[in-house]
Amino acid sequence: MSYTFFPGCSLDGAAKDYHRSTLAVAAKLGIEMPELKDWICCGSTAVHSTDPLLADALPAKSLSAAGGSTVAVACAACYSRLKAANHHIAGDPGLRARVAHVVGRDYDGRTPVLHLLEILCREIGLARVAAAIRRPLHGLKVACYYGCLLTRPPEVTNFDDPENPMLMDQLLEAAGATPLAWPHKTECCGASFSITDSSVVLELGNRILAMAQAAGADCVATACPLCQLNLDMRQKDMERKFGCRYNLPVFYFTQLLGLAMGCRPDELSLDSLIVGPKALLEAKGIGR
Amino acid sequence: MTGGMAPPIEIGSIGGGLAVEVNQRSGASPMSCYQCAKCSSGCPVAAGGDFQPHQLVRMVQTDQRQAVLSSRFLWQCTSCQTCTTRCPQQVDIAGMIDALRGISLAAGSQEPHSAVPVFNEIFLDAVRERGRVFELGLMLHFKLRTKRLLEDAGKAPTMLLKGKLPLSAPRVDGKDEREAMFHRAAEGGAQ
Repeated sequence: MSYTFFPGCSLDGAAKDYHRSTLAVAAKLGIEMPELKDWICCGSTAVHSTDPLLADALPAKSLSAAGGSTVAVACAACYSRLKAANHHIAGDPGLRARVAHVVGRDYDGRTPVLHLLEILCREIGLARVAAAIRRPLHGLKVACYYGCLLTRPPEVTNFDDPENPMLMDQLLEAAGATPLAWPHKTECCGASFSITDSSVVLELGNRILAMAQAAGADCVATACPLCQLNLDMRQKDMERKFGCRYNLPVFYFTQLLGLAMGCRPDELSLDSLIVGPKALLEAKGIGR
Repeated sequence: MTGGMAPPIEIGSIGGGLAVEVNQRSGASPMSCYQCAKCSSGCPVAAGGDFQPHQLVRMVQTDQRQAVLSSRFLWQCTSCQTCTTRCPQQVDIAGMIDALRGISLAAGSQEPHSAVPVFNEIFLDAVRERGRVFELGLMLHFKLRTKRLLEDAGKAPTMLLKGKLPLSAPRVDGKDEREAMFHRAAEGGAQ
């Protein structure tokens, strides 16, 4: 299996650990992920809040360079922007012409875009994932946190149930973990307000961690660079501000999957987590 | 509104003006709203807003231009898309908010206390200039522009130590091409 990988800016920055663990898991499953040459930024929220046409044109420029092969995405924000551009361009010939004029070449909006979770669950399949597990995550209770942009809006992403997505739960269950039923799977973490007004992230992130803790989670699993960073880097600040104690490691789901497949901690950049997972993993006998 | 006397409501042409502009800009159809307020119930930031999403939709319907375009909520919305996903009338409320941000900026009537427009501007400049966003550069630039150098300064050493703030700045060729793209997009992509 081979996919053209669109890593996005965060995976070369704050989410280098997500990048590394993604490639480690792909290698274990024999998935080739050559990087899309000269991809450019998806535009993220900053662009769609400013210029809707540019918000479709930036992804169109990258996607038209993929030569029609399926594009794999790890970042939830990139995924959302690439899928939205496809949805808009494929459904509106007038917009397609305007985007073609902006980009300088025509793009039909039909290059398939899949998130890693979709690839692993639906294309590789849970049976093959389960067959690659060497050290099952027995006894690890995980709150799978999907955030906003993988599932919403469903007619654009067509990812999974928008209120109760299960793809990450199924995957980590196949890895031997115990995914929890909890109600904040798709609540918003505050995203880029981390930079513009961090009090928003403290408030929203705290609700998510409090609910994960109440559900009995040992840790949180994420599939988005901003979700991970907000819940991990600002966790101590949330504890201080709201007078609580979480100490909940916030993994990328690829890190947990990689551990279960027998990858070394350094192949998964476990050291880059700010709330350290060492004590938890030792207590559960994981990674030994 | 909290405290004091609410400003007088000035109603423009119902279903005209702002509702038409929002629709042209985003495809959202605010006139379909019947005020069930499901959008506001699920909104993560409605409680702290000057107006809630369903109120803004009604104000767009009744063309209360000034109040809508200067609303603080436009810059508090996290674009989480919960409102759009749950609306029983398929009103793309998040799309409406995006459109209102653009109209508000173009009219120069955005409320002045939000740092979001500055952040967005710096972000767009970075994409035009380099093709990709260099996070460390983006954050420093933002802090200089907003004079908030000390805020979160304690996070930087941890981030550096954890390898979460790479120091090398990415760049993709084709700056002239991107400049031209940004220019054509700003003109609406008309041939």
